[in-house]
Amino acid sequence: MWDLILQGAGNVLAPQILALITVGVAVGIVFGAVPGLTAVMAIALSLPMTYGLGPAAGISLLIALYVGATSGGLISAILLKIPGTPSSIATTFDGAPMMEKGEGAKALGVGIVFSFIGTILSIAALMFIAPHLARAALSFGPHEYFAIAIFSLTLIATLSTGSMIKGIFSGVSGFAISTVGIAPVEATRRFTFGFVELNAGFSILTVLVGMFAIAEIIKVAETTRTPNRLAAPLIVKIKGFGFSLKEFFSQIPNALRSSVIGISIGILPGIGAGTSNIISYIVAKNQSRTPEKFGQGSIEGVVASESANNAGIGGAMIPLLTLGIPGDAVTAILLGGLMIHGIQPGPMLFITQGELVYTIFAALILAAIMMLILEFWGLRVFIRLLAIPKHILLPVIVILCAVGAFGLASRVFDIWTILGFGILGYAFAKAGMPAAPFIIGFILGPMAETNFRRALQLSSGDATSFITNPISGVFLGIAALSIAWQIYRSLRPRKRSCALPASASQTSEF
Amino acid sequence: MTRGHRKELLIGTAMLAAGAFYLYLVTGLPRRGPVDATFIPYVLAGAMILLGLLQLGSTLVGPAAGPNAPEEAGGATPSYLTVGLTLGLVAVFVALLRPIGFPFAAALYLFFQFVVLTPADQKPNYGLYAVLAIICSTLIFVTFRYGFDLILPAGPLTTMLP
Repeated sequence: MWDLILQGAGNVLAPQILALITVGVAVGIVFGAVPGLTAVMAIALSLPMTYGLGPAAGISLLIALYVGATSGGLISAILLKIPGTPSSIATTFDGAPMMEKGEGAKALGVGIVFSFIGTILSIAALMFIAPHLARAALSFGPHEYFAIAIFSLTLIATLSTGSMIKGIFSGVSGFAISTVGIAPVEATRRFTFGFVELNAGFSILTVLVGMFAIAEIIKVAETTRTPNRLAAPLIVKIKGFGFSLKEFFSQIPNALRSSVIGISIGILPGIGAGTSNIISYIVAKNQSRTPEKFGQGSIEGVVASESANNAGIGGAMIPLLTLGIPGDAVTAILLGGLMIHGIQPGPMLFITQGELVYTIFAALILAAIMMLILEFWGLRVFIRLLAIPKHILLPVIVILCAVGAFGLASRVFDIWTILGFGILGYAFAKAGMPAAPFIIGFILGPMAETNFRRALQLSSGDATSFITNPISGVFLGIAALSIAWQIYRSLRPRKRSCALPASASQTSEF
Repeated sequence: MTRGHRKELLIGTAMLAAGAFYLYLVTGLPRRGPVDATFIPYVLAGAMILLGLLQLGSTLVGPAAGPNAPEEAGGATPSYLTVGLTLGLVAVFVALLRPIGFPFAAALYLFFQFVVLTPADQKPNYGLYAVLAIICSTLIFVTFRYGFDLILPAGPLTTMLP
């Protein structure tokens, strides 16, 4: 193991990869900081750039973007009260009041330092847990994979906030869209309408860019002509990290607890940092000796949110690397990035490509260190990007999305596809339907169908084998219980207590 | 019936229609046995129709939905004309990509999109927009073509470029 760790560290310290990680973190921070730009977009746009790079360099760049973008959201969350990414929603609850009280520098410093701590703790968990999970996952066959896919799909649907019906419909629709193209096992052509471009189905990149980036741009276009939508950002003077050592040590238990929440939620497919930051905020408030200060500018709130959202990075990488299951939209596109380079995540990855796995771990650690350095020194520069008028910024983003889609296969067809999925994503948003279950349904659909067909072939068409197989039986049982519990919850009379500040009500889904 | 109710009914109808359309497409696929390439699509179509019916049912028998929040983005009034123009401009950009090439198509798109999205209380700065559009499209084209080996359509420039 130590040999692999040293080899991984040696790989990322090569000048080319070191430079890529530095640039990737910087670009990621910018994408995280600018509202409307997301980690998904940063990775999606940069994916074509990795074609010409080797697997280690390409994946290191994508990971650096992921780490940078996850943390960068705190900048606009604190300075503008606008979360740059869904994972920074809870950061606004106390970060913005701190800014209003003249403690913006302190809030930024707290956010940066505890983002770093959350990331490092999650990487440690990834290194410790992932190999064990991988060994256990080696015994999984089609029955188990089918059950896991179904279990993940039900989790996504049932844990989506808002309407459960819409959440499930979104996931089912994504699954249905994934059936376009040549079917598994018997290679029947489905829903291609004579377009040869559809034989391989829709590309995950075009679906992601359309549903998230283009849909977001259309949403912003709705109101961008309204005068003075956004106040000009306040440029604050930052000295050191802005907080004392005493305050730092007093927040260690909070950071540890929030990181554990972030890692745990990050592991579960379909529930990302967009959820964990809010849950850890609620837990921190409940555990605090001064809960009344939450929402008024308490550093505890910033620590809880930022530790948890960055801890989700390592957590989400665990199912991605060991089982090939993306935990959220960002890891879904990371999965695409790995596959483009001929890497098939799953239990065999740790055996066949151990050096690459530890290179990924080393890239994560280095990216976290770079994030700390760049955010500390670069805040004054990054904040000026927020001042670019949206009517200038958004069209340029559309062009970059089109370039990213075209880069997939040098086809204009793919740009039409992102436009189509953009309109679909916009319709979803208008209907209050979460887009994330759609993406996860699209990703997990083929996995569920392929393994369902294979499992039936292995068991000579005996469908009861899904129940009699212990692991798949347990997962399918939990999936059924999860759905039953959600149906029960939705039917019983509700007594809702408001655990979050008023601004939390704006959050709908991750 | 409140506005919120009508919207939820419309959503339910759209869900039902999507499920029915998907089912119609599935029935056109060749069958090769009880569990074949149509099995999962049939299950999905059934689920979509069921969910559409549940959405309609829950709206009709559920408590009265309040009026919708004015708008999602901070209470600002939505401009669907801007949305329509934006979608139209993107469509024209994609359609022109091959015939006139990326640099020209992108520059034209950017210029007109800057104008369309300019806030109502600001006067469009046509000169600045034109310069920005040309610089951005050229920079992106050159960066991807020569930096990342991504050959974007060059249109009439194809024969002139190295």
